Amino acid sequence: MISIPCEEHSLENGLRIVLSPDPSVPIVAVNLWYDVGSRNEGPGQTGLAHLFEHMMFQGSRHVAGNQHFELLEGVGGSANASTWFDRTNYYETLPSHHLELALWLEADRMGWMLPALTAEKLENQRDVVKNERRQRYDNQPYGDWDERMLAMVYPPGHPYRHPVIGSLEDIDGFTLDDLESFFRAYYAPDNAVLTLCGGFDPTRALEWTERYFGGIPPGPGARRIAGDADAERENHTVSSQTVEADVPLTRVYAAMRVPTFDDPAFYAADVAGDILGRGRASRLHRSLVLERRVAKDVAAHVFPLMTGAAMMLVRATGNMGVDPGELEAVLVEEIDGLRAVAGEEVARAVAMAETAILGQLEVVAQRADLLSMFATHFGDPQRISTEINRLRAVTPEAVATLAGERLGPENRAILTYVPRTSA
Amino acid sequence: MSPAGFPRTPPGPGPVAPFAIPTVHAARLDSGLELRVARRDGVPLVTALLVMDAGEATLAGEQAGLAVLTGKALHGGTARRSAVELACALEDMGTHLATSVGWDSTVVSLTCAADRFPRALRLLSEVVLTPGFPDEEVERTREQQLGGIRQRRMYPAQLATAAAAHFFFGKRATYGRPMAGTEGTVAGLERTHVAGFAAGRFRPRGAALVVAGDVSGAAVTDLSAECFGGWRGQAAPVEATAGPRFGERRFVIVHRPGAVQSELRIGHASVARTTPDYFPLIVLNAVLGGAFTSRLNLNLREDKGFTYGVSSHFLLRRAGGMFRIATAVATEDTAAAVREVLAETETLVADGPTPAEVRGARDYLAGIFPLRLETTAQVASGIARMFVHGLAPDYHARYRDRVRAVQVDDAAGAARRRIRPDALTVVVAGDADRVAPELESLGPIEVHHDF
Repeated sequence: MISIPCEEHSLENGLRIVLSPDPSVPIVAVNLWYDVGSRNEGPGQTGLAHLFEHMMFQGSRHVAGNQHFELLEGVGGSANASTWFDRTNYYETLPSHHLELALWLEADRMGWMLPALTAEKLENQRDVVKNERRQRYDNQPYGDWDERMLAMVYPPGHPYRHPVIGSLEDIDGFTLDDLESFFRAYYAPDNAVLTLCGGFDPTRALEWTERYFGGIPPGPGARRIAGDADAERENHTVSSQTVEADVPLTRVYAAMRVPTFDDPAFYAADVAGDILGRGRASRLHRSLVLERRVAKDVAAHVFPLMTGAAMMLVRATGNMGVDPGELEAVLVEEIDGLRAVAGEEVARAVAMAETAILGQLEVVAQRADLLSMFATHFGDPQRISTEINRLRAVTPEAVATLAGERLGPENRAILTYVPRTSA
Repeated sequence: MSPAGFPRTPPGPGPVAPFAIPTVHAARLDSGLELRVARRDGVPLVTALLVMDAGEATLAGEQAGLAVLTGKALHGGTARRSAVELACALEDMGTHLATSVGWDSTVVSLTCAADRFPRALRLLSEVVLTPGFPDEEVERTREQQLGGIRQRRMYPAQLATAAAAHFFFGKRATYGRPMAGTEGTVAGLERTHVAGFAAGRFRPRGAALVVAGDVSGAAVTDLSAECFGGWRGQAAPVEATAGPRFGERRFVIVHRPGAVQSELRIGHASVARTTPDYFPLIVLNAVLGGAFTSRLNLNLREDKGFTYGVSSHFLLRRAGGMFRIATAVATEDTAAAVREVLAETETLVADGPTPAEVRGARDYLAGIFPLRLETTAQVASGIARMFVHGLAPDYHARYRDRVRAVQVDDAAGAARRRIRPDALTVVVAGDADRVAPELESLGPIEVHHDF
């Protein structure tokens, strides 16, 4: 593995800064994580963090609407943002010699986004977000799986119980006051990590961050995660749901709550997921696709979440005409089978993860995003260079123990889609 | 209030950093297999990519989908290994085989840690030179392909894209048919067809092995001689099909009852990748719909709120191409969105882009170019595309200069030559009952219930 150079700094207002210079490239990635996501939304507020993310591109004190993209694209940069359960990230990658521009743009909206906020901009982005929801969820087969599954996996009151995109009803209800309160609570230097990665001079970059971000006042402190992260689902209650919908094939999802990303047992869950459903040599692919021929495709993935419990999601799409009960039975059989795994399966999962991590490190934008993630969630960006060691340390026994404790029927939710029988 | 020291206007640029385009070591094996090696250090990864003259466009219409099936069936194993044994051998090394079949080529590739590269390349050659194609795997793969074809109706974006090709080119043209074939052409494909296609077209003359990453050209030359030295033959040349034909403007609705959105595809046939208009076209496209701040996106998304996003593309292939605008809009906004797309296109062709737009598009394209060559996989794919289209060896090195050389008149001329507003076909995959009445104000509508 390789070691990623990085240095950490912080400003008086609490902004944490990670600098990771790589003189071999003529580009620089600017990546800003705000420690806020859908987990911070209260009842009636679903989708607010994401809609807010859209509003951050609508201008600020010195930046007109659309000028953010115009300025960045005009110098050969790309920019975007995303909202997730635990965080919201904003990022741009641009030619190194325009780094100062990106810092100015990010600082202007971190400090002074509210003066540019208007009702007209809110209405426009409300429509854009509703179309995003239609395109990605409502007009897609299986598109509402996360809405259904999260409500089964996480108990009432849990901050992960609703999807990041939010409900159309809540999105329709947001006012300028909602946006303003959200900004004041969460968009502050002491709730953010700024990472620079690529070709730049660290000394100059640090001067610029002080110049642009140094005058932004810290936030009010005491930010809350909505609801109860420790809420437990009633044990020994199997959650299951079958939905008849406009889908081409029967599909079964299984989801289990697993240790959070900052729990050492998380890595056993991650490896368990890979053994189960990553790649053509995985158990689900071999069993359901190649041998029994009941499934068209399979997948398993662990979401690295921080609050209360993370989630392992397993999925199998049945071949035409397969019986939904049979598909669920073989899927569950493979999950249960994880109580015994071989050393070579763990080694294979780790080898695949090694290549995947190297692949992420190739891209300065992804390197920057990982540094921001480790700084935000763990207070330690250097974890980027040692993460693979935590996977290498996973033993077959640890996977078996994890499977016994966390993947059993008492902690499992099953969601089955079957094609609608009549048009 | 912002503090007094905060600049009110954006800061300017600093000194430009040099960008080292990867140098490519080129060689040819006795068999005719071309070698391209681009050394990259930094991250210890290597991508190996074998690009062969075995695209879907080499097939007659009756065999449509055979190249796609053959590419997927490579996962079925080799003469020595079953599908499971092959998968385990690859994944034990932390890699997997990707097979990608397009109109112009079949590409087999993998990316692995540098220290595992020799073993991984041996496996790649074993897969391509001695594929097993066991009956049961060919049959399983064919059934999955058929399933995908039958289920396409359920995926609005795929449905609209397939319909666009069909109505832009006509069903008899190569590019008008679905890449993966139809139920009629795929259902009859057997092991003999798959093995025959591979035997005929997986040949070294006309193919290239591209390697990018933390490995030397000399090491790759030795290793490729070991892995591919015994490979012989040439894929038979295939005639290119004819260039674009233009008809009248058409409005086609592919009916999806109850759809909450309409997927729109608006465009027509276009020229081949080797067109001398290539650089003016990509600048023009950035102005129209190839960037976030393009005319279409600023209008349909940021002004009207009709869509989450809209883009335009010139999809240029060996024997011709396609100009296509794509978006998804709320059902009730369908006709208004189509009207805006047509108006923006007409205005751009009639008046041309402004000098500021052309300057912005040039800087955008030149600036993001290094982002397209960041990873070993990107570098290898870029070199493979140069090989497929016969682009000059200094193509990457000169790319940014050629973009910057595009003048306003060049882009305006390309717009007049390469976009024909009167010949646009508008494809709407959506609820005909709800969108047809208003769309009819734009022209006569065809509604297809069973596409």
